[in-house]
Amino acid sequence: MIYADRNTGVIIGGATGNQGSFHMARMNQYAQQVGGKGVVAGVTPGKGGREVNGVPIYDSYSDAVREHDASAAVIFVPGSAAGDSVMEAADAGLDLAVVITEHIPVHDVMRAVSYAGIRGCRVIGPNCPGILSPGEINMGIMPVHLASQGNVGVISRSGTLTYEVVHELTRSGIGQSSIIGIGGDPVIGQTFADVIENFTNDPLTRAVVILGELGGNLEEEGARDADLPVVAFIAGTTAPPDKRMGHAGAIVTGGEGDANAKIARLRDMGIPVADRLSEIPAIIKRVL
Amino acid sequence: MKLKEYEAKTILEKAGIRIPRGLCIKKGSSQDFQLSPDIPRMVVKAQVEVAGRGKAGGILMADANNLKESVNSLFQANIKGIPVQEILIEERLEILHEYYLSITIDRKNKAPVILFTSEGGVEIEEVAKRKPDAIRTASVYPLLSTVPGFTLRYLLNGAPKEISGVIQALYNVFIEKDALLAEINPLVMTPDGLYAADAKLILDDNALFRQGIEENRDLSEHEREACAHGFSLVELDGNIGVIGNGAGLTMATVDLITRMGGKPADFLDVGGGADRNRVAKAVRLLGAMPDISVILVNLLGGITRCDEVAIGIIEAGVPQQIIVRLAGTNEAEGKELLSSRGYQMLDTMEEAVSAAVEVAS
Repeated sequence: MIYADRNTGVIIGGATGNQGSFHMARMNQYAQQVGGKGVVAGVTPGKGGREVNGVPIYDSYSDAVREHDASAAVIFVPGSAAGDSVMEAADAGLDLAVVITEHIPVHDVMRAVSYAGIRGCRVIGPNCPGILSPGEINMGIMPVHLASQGNVGVISRSGTLTYEVVHELTRSGIGQSSIIGIGGDPVIGQTFADVIENFTNDPLTRAVVILGELGGNLEEEGARDADLPVVAFIAGTTAPPDKRMGHAGAIVTGGEGDANAKIARLRDMGIPVADRLSEIPAIIKRVL
Repeated sequence: MKLKEYEAKTILEKAGIRIPRGLCIKKGSSQDFQLSPDIPRMVVKAQVEVAGRGKAGGILMADANNLKESVNSLFQANIKGIPVQEILIEERLEILHEYYLSITIDRKNKAPVILFTSEGGVEIEEVAKRKPDAIRTASVYPLLSTVPGFTLRYLLNGAPKEISGVIQALYNVFIEKDALLAEINPLVMTPDGLYAADAKLILDDNALFRQGIEENRDLSEHEREACAHGFSLVELDGNIGVIGNGAGLTMATVDLITRMGGKPADFLDVGGGADRNRVAKAVRLLGAMPDISVILVNLLGGITRCDEVAIGIIEAGVPQQIIVRLAGTNEAEGKELLSSRGYQMLDTMEEAVSAAVEVAS
């Protein structure tokens, strides 16, 4: 497993909100099942001193880490304040921030990821389902019952697409080491390349599935230097081209976006790309 | 959200970038507009968001004698299918040289990136093809408030130093307005100094709330309604309605329909944790689209309750046939509710897509 394990103490940012409190309970339920540390504290400014589902709430991350042994945050704070929450978590000394929140302004994401980097805090997401390492830790919103323990790593830009593939893998008897949702936004913290590097150094992981989408070229960037067998699926082959970033964006990355071009580039590198999700388990069995 | 040329220029002017003198007129408004009498030659520009606007006939040259005819004829025109509602009339500049300047987001470096070339005035992808070395690009570390001097020197590559001020001013606009793209093409050198002859600004939809913009104009009526319910909708031109949860799964469903020979009518992502009301609204939204002959619901979620989804589908009560693939909490209850009322339920995404394609063909 990568990024976290059962001994990781977790703080929930936005713990008193609907989403935060609901998923905090699920994470702790999972921690109980696997004998993990789970969520040790929650943070919501102005609501310190309360308890939610038996977890103490603090006004700030620094208050929480003073009282508890924690190294990671899972953030559910609304988009307008989520960038700030990432920086605060990094400032308090946490070394991992998993950002579930969607619709964060991209300028906030750029600043927060930069700032966290200076503070030695890795960011996963935003707009992601988090991390699930079956049998170890649940740090996010993935449906844990679909996953099973094993040695295939999964990296994805999308939530439900990940669940679909994990479901297919489990049904085919292929377990997962860690499932990492890196998020669907234009700017994210950990990229395919970063996560693949972590999987490469993980003794448990023997192959990686990457689930990409149209937009950018980070799938190819990540797969290019992989030392592990990689199998890819790219969604959005029939989507109308997104012209919002205009031609300047395409020039920066050299042909940004189109899903079919992305698939062609991956195949040129010798990476098998599944045309359908249902083909992934068979391809994984072949490369293992 | 895309801003129109005149809106973008107003913002640039406030930031200290010079723009040509001019005025914007709306279709149907009074034709008694008055330009300053010391402007002998004008450019008449349709305010439409299309690439290659000039080549498509959206820009006319005029003088005091034929200005009104030019304006009238442009208001009658369709530029690449888009009717002209607003026209910007500007003084024609005396061009000594044209530059290209833009700022966008660099996904790889997770930072703003500035593009500059002295080969301006044509479409930038032309320059990229013909003379790629002429375009200089430089990222700016997101925690810096100004563009560093070394970055400006690198970008200019010998071009006049006063362009530095324009780059810094455009960078300020890019940051303050939460832009995804800020572009000046061409940036024109005249005997009187630098002017932004054309400008583009695209704002981050996720930041409109702090830019004082209440409504995203780029959305169609259906898309706006979807947005109000927290859905994400893109209208396509087929006859199979698609409802999914999560952008990736919904997109993969649309892809699979196409791969199996069907024609998706839309991309509708209901988002996470959809309850009966959200599902009913989504189904009704598609049910009201006349071209849709069958609706495919493909929902997978750990937290989406299938019985809620089933009730939503039933309550929507639309005339089209609905094919459902559900997986998640309370799956058995959901399936029971739907199949007892005659809805077609399928276990896998492929089976469901295949059934929908068959019904629609």
